[in-house]
Amino acid sequence: MNEEVICLENVELWRRNREHFHYDFKRAVFSLVQGKRFKIEKKLVLKNINLRVKRGEKIGIIGSNGAGKSTLLKVICGILSPTKGTVRVRGEIAPLIELGAGFDLEMSVRDNVILYGVLLGHSRQEMKQRLKDIISFAELEEYLPLPVKALSSGMRARLGFAIATSVNPDILIVDEVLSVGDAHFAQKSRKRMEELWQQNTTILFVSHSLEQVKQLCPKSVWLNNGEIAFMGDTEEAIQRYLDYIGLNSSGKNRLC
Amino acid sequence: MIRLEKILFSKQKNAWQKTLLRYWDLLSVLVPQTLHARYRGSYLGVYWSLLNPVIMTGLYTTIFGAAFASYYDNSLVNYVLAAFTGLLVIHFYNASTTQALTSIVYNGELLNKIKIPIDIFPLTVIGANIVQFLIGPFPILAIITLVKSQSILHVFLLLIPFISLVLVCTGVGFIVSALFVFFRDLGYFYELTTFILWVSSPVFYPPEIVPTQVKPFLNFNPLVAIIESLRQISLTPDFPDPVYLLRGIFYGIILTTLGYIFFRKMEPEFLDLL
Repeated sequence: MNEEVICLENVELWRRNREHFHYDFKRAVFSLVQGKRFKIEKKLVLKNINLRVKRGEKIGIIGSNGAGKSTLLKVICGILSPTKGTVRVRGEIAPLIELGAGFDLEMSVRDNVILYGVLLGHSRQEMKQRLKDIISFAELEEYLPLPVKALSSGMRARLGFAIATSVNPDILIVDEVLSVGDAHFAQKSRKRMEELWQQNTTILFVSHSLEQVKQLCPKSVWLNNGEIAFMGDTEEAIQRYLDYIGLNSSGKNRLC
Repeated sequence: MIRLEKILFSKQKNAWQKTLLRYWDLLSVLVPQTLHARYRGSYLGVYWSLLNPVIMTGLYTTIFGAAFASYYDNSLVNYVLAAFTGLLVIHFYNASTTQALTSIVYNGELLNKIKIPIDIFPLTVIGANIVQFLIGPFPILAIITLVKSQSILHVFLLLIPFISLVLVCTGVGFIVSALFVFFRDLGYFYELTTFILWVSSPVFYPPEIVPTQVKPFLNFNPLVAIIESLRQISLTPDFPDPVYLLRGIFYGIILTTLGYIFFRKMEPEFLDLL
């Protein structure tokens, strides 16, 4: 029961500075001819991250913009691999991030369900079996043969939500989206989220709404400048985070 | 000890099967998606891809046909067929590698959001071109082969140069798609490269007119051997020259291996630049 499903050990991530890269073959050849040395500039985005999450834990992740929250999630999802350290994840991850990022607007709703599901890592067979449930949950039965571009943005979000939550994932990564669509569907999706919350699903919840984090997660991680500044009781994490922001701005005020 | 090894081995095998299955599933949704996007759902659209080689064959025949017919047993038909088969190869190569070039960058946003093996995108391009070839030009090629060689065996033999061609394109596709992540102006330079390959392949001229001093260099062009064996198989009743067959396969395997190694080496850098 208490097995660890996410384990990050001494994770460090360096990324290239994209703004200094010119993507230009001509210039690369010229500077090579001129004998200029090609320098790769990298910056440290995640520093010494140690994170252990047990099955069923609900963990909030807070921090200011650019603190590395999304990057950390990308490392956990396996999109980015760390420069140093190890990442171990047990079980299936469902990212509820930017729902519908893989939709092909020209293709039918039916084909998109299969496409998106396969992109998320499910088998085609599985998706075909689940198609009916997904469509009926999203309440898009009559749109099945239509291209996705015929759907409104709310409907697309509904479809994305329905696909991403159709499996019972072991680990759920939630980025702000807790309810989508109109009032009716928002209630429905909130209910499904609550179900997932009550099951033994491990949840990582990234949000700028500290109130929501307080309500939903007993434990939290405060990320600051790519480091875990605090991990533990949510109340305390939020308190420290707020104190830090307050300190910063009062410091600035003093300078003024 | 032995049991442990067995467990480890079966685990490894499972991982292999899983990866293979994942690639297969991805290809089976992404290839139709690519074809669908290209032809907007019309199956006839695939035959558009024949338009280019057919028009080019007509053009070459009009201009060079009379001058070069003497190299093809004084038969204009033979020149037409030689030009057409050569163009099919060139066209496949140009289309698949040029589409592969941009494939990773086009899907950069998606790669930043969902975990997908990156090499699936150049592979999808190659896959889509294979399907298109099998529906469009292949039946015509098979009919030509049956008529000219009078042998079913030759229709099956067509697969050898075709597989070589696919391997060459896969390898080149890996390399150019990886390079394009770093150099977005590569399209212009790549156009030049494809043009060189085109002109240095005996597509619209007989290989005999090339000066003997230059000829050995043409063998560096991997498409030359493929075009030659495809022509021998489809246009003559004789068994094709094994040297060309093997050289085609050899180039295919070498390029795919090199391309794959290069791709894997560059891969860790991709996401920082997408």
